[in-house]
Amino acid sequence: MSTKADVTRKCLQPAYLVGLFITGILSLDCNVLNIHLSRVTWQNMRLLSGMSNSFPIECLRENKAFELPHEILSHIQPVKRDIKKAFYEISIQAFNIFSQYTFKSTWEEKHLKQIQIGLDKQLQYLEQCLEEEEKEDEDMKETEEDGTKHSGTMVPRLSHLELRRYFNRIYNFLKEKKYSHCAWEIVRVEIRRCFYLFLKSIVLLRRK
Amino acid sequence: MLAFLGAMALVLVAGAPWVLPAAAGGTNLESPRDVEVYIVDDSFILKWNRGSESLSNVTFSVDYQMYLNVYDELKLRIRAEKGNNTSPWYEVDSFIPFHKAQIGPPEVHLEAEDKAIIINISPPGTKDGVMWAMDSSSFIYNLVIWKNSSPAEERTETVYPTDKIYKLSPETTYCLKVKARLRMQRKVGLYSPVYCINTTVENKLPPPENIQIDGNNQNYILKWDYKYENLTFQAQWLHAYLKKIPGKHADKWKQIPNCENVKTTQCVFPQSVFSRGIYFIRVQASNGNSTSLWSEEKKFDTEIQTIILPPVINLKPVNDSLRVYIGAPKESDNKSVDEDYPLIYEIIFWENTSNITNKIVEKKTDFTFRNLKPLTVYCVRARALIHYEKWNKSSGFSDTVCEKTKPGNTSKTLLIIAVICAVLLSIPVVVYVVKVVLRCVKYVFFPSSKPPSAVDEVRSFSLSTAGFFLKWKIYLISTEYICFLDFQKIIQTDLGIFFQVSVNEL
Repeated sequence: MSTKADVTRKCLQPAYLVGLFITGILSLDCNVLNIHLSRVTWQNMRLLSGMSNSFPIECLRENKAFELPHEILSHIQPVKRDIKKAFYEISIQAFNIFSQYTFKSTWEEKHLKQIQIGLDKQLQYLEQCLEEEEKEDEDMKETEEDGTKHSGTMVPRLSHLELRRYFNRIYNFLKEKKYSHCAWEIVRVEIRRCFYLFLKSIVLLRRK
Repeated sequence: MLAFLGAMALVLVAGAPWVLPAAAGGTNLESPRDVEVYIVDDSFILKWNRGSESLSNVTFSVDYQMYLNVYDELKLRIRAEKGNNTSPWYEVDSFIPFHKAQIGPPEVHLEAEDKAIIINISPPGTKDGVMWAMDSSSFIYNLVIWKNSSPAEERTETVYPTDKIYKLSPETTYCLKVKARLRMQRKVGLYSPVYCINTTVENKLPPPENIQIDGNNQNYILKWDYKYENLTFQAQWLHAYLKKIPGKHADKWKQIPNCENVKTTQCVFPQSVFSRGIYFIRVQASNGNSTSLWSEEKKFDTEIQTIILPPVINLKPVNDSLRVYIGAPKESDNKSVDEDYPLIYEIIFWENTSNITNKIVEKKTDFTFRNLKPLTVYCVRARALIHYEKWNKSSGFSDTVCEKTKPGNTSKTLLIIAVICAVLLSIPVVVYVVKVVLRCVKYVFFPSSKPPSAVDEVRSFSLSTAGFFLKWKIYLISTEYICFLDFQKIIQTDLGIFFQVSVNEL
């Protein structure tokens, strides 16, 4: 039990700070929503930690390297909107993955519900922010030339592909292992790691 | 991997023959030209122009390089074959299937009510399809609906996979079509075929309307409007995220406690019923025999609905300023501790004796009112506002707190100077008084036999009368003292009469 507390503390301290940084980054037009977003993200990470008492040791040997693309953010110009889009992609994939959950006895239902609720909230806040920007964007699109537009969307597309491939590996892993208890545990830890590393990259980006 | 690829359907379409000038003999077949690839959901469609060969007995084969998933590059090549002759391979530029893919039409199921239509949309592609396997809950659906009788008036709405279209007329034929969209990739899908359905006869009992939810201390108050009276109502809730996941969730609606069979158009339930999150709420009326249809589903975000408690104010007078501390409200339960809204405060302050109030808006919780009148009572009260205009939420006003300002700096110094002057001036006065007192004391308690030197003159008189007691008062005024001399005795002697003089000093 004490190790869990240690681990949670270790994980949560930087996450808390990072959560505050998100507020700064995503503060284009979405004022209060960003406060909620950062808080909700941090809560979700906490939920992901708390879903299980501890990672079952017997699942360690089934562990797989999903190769989270660390460099994804180096592809993205540090444009706030692209970071938001990447974050949206990560959030929605995490939501989709947990929506496929079928194995009843791995986690308590209330924990699963909470993480789904939390991720959905994360998505809702992101969607609201992105919608506002989409409207601006559509006005801009009409005046932009095709050439420039095309090159503009290529860069985020590539990084989104990287993210997709990464999540695809997770999906395939789940399917291969037939959605077993160990598979779900591994995926849970992986997604939490993904959130954490993503948030950390944002912090590093800001420092540049 | 093979099985995976097997799920894809490959459709080959040969185009019209393209006539070349007669090739110089040879058995070399012409490879296909102008190959184009279209992808709709999990179906790959290849279109090309065959060479100038005759149509008989020519087959085409397509080769694809193994790939792991739809996000990796795919290489296709195609060639013509006739018997043992084959054309050279035509290699299609490699592409990423996911990027090229077009979203196909979704499947729609409809159910009609009197003034609404319930829709149930299945995502594009097949259930085991690979192309949109990771996007099943990411699709956004655009729906276009119109009355069959007036197709020009159409309405467009964005809907969830399970949703309802409201504000329709009963007993009317409505037609609609739906297309799916992926927001991030900016992919817009193809429209589904048009579905038409008739709305039913108007239900006797209309559904409740205008659902409102307000927070109040530890409870939520759910209110709605209803035309008729003497009916009972019940309210249900659903997790909002379920609407994004395709499938039927009709059985996932749950009863709200304290809101079953209520006779009024409102019900109160504790805040603990809903943990933090976003929900949908619906209400239904019933008169025993029949029930109305469900009301419109009202979205309810506990974060937005939470009541903000009024803040607590502390005042501290400092010189000619008043320092204001705005503190967090006393929490009524643990929930509000975590709520860290960006709050701003509206502060109203006024002099106790006047009616004029000043209002300022402040972000900080510790600030000072400066340049106030000294020794005056000022009063302050404040309320908290959410720093986001769209929400327009505020707490009630805090209690009024009043404090008197301290005396000012300038009057204080004057006072000190005045005190010092008074002290200085009073010293000689005090010394004078002390001296006089001491002299009197000395005279009374320690009289000296000598007549005081202050007596300058004593007039001597000789009188022939005997035994008369004369009293003379001779005033001898010295430089300092006023002395009264009383002649009290006449002493007869041979030498004459001497007056014994007693001197009384004042």
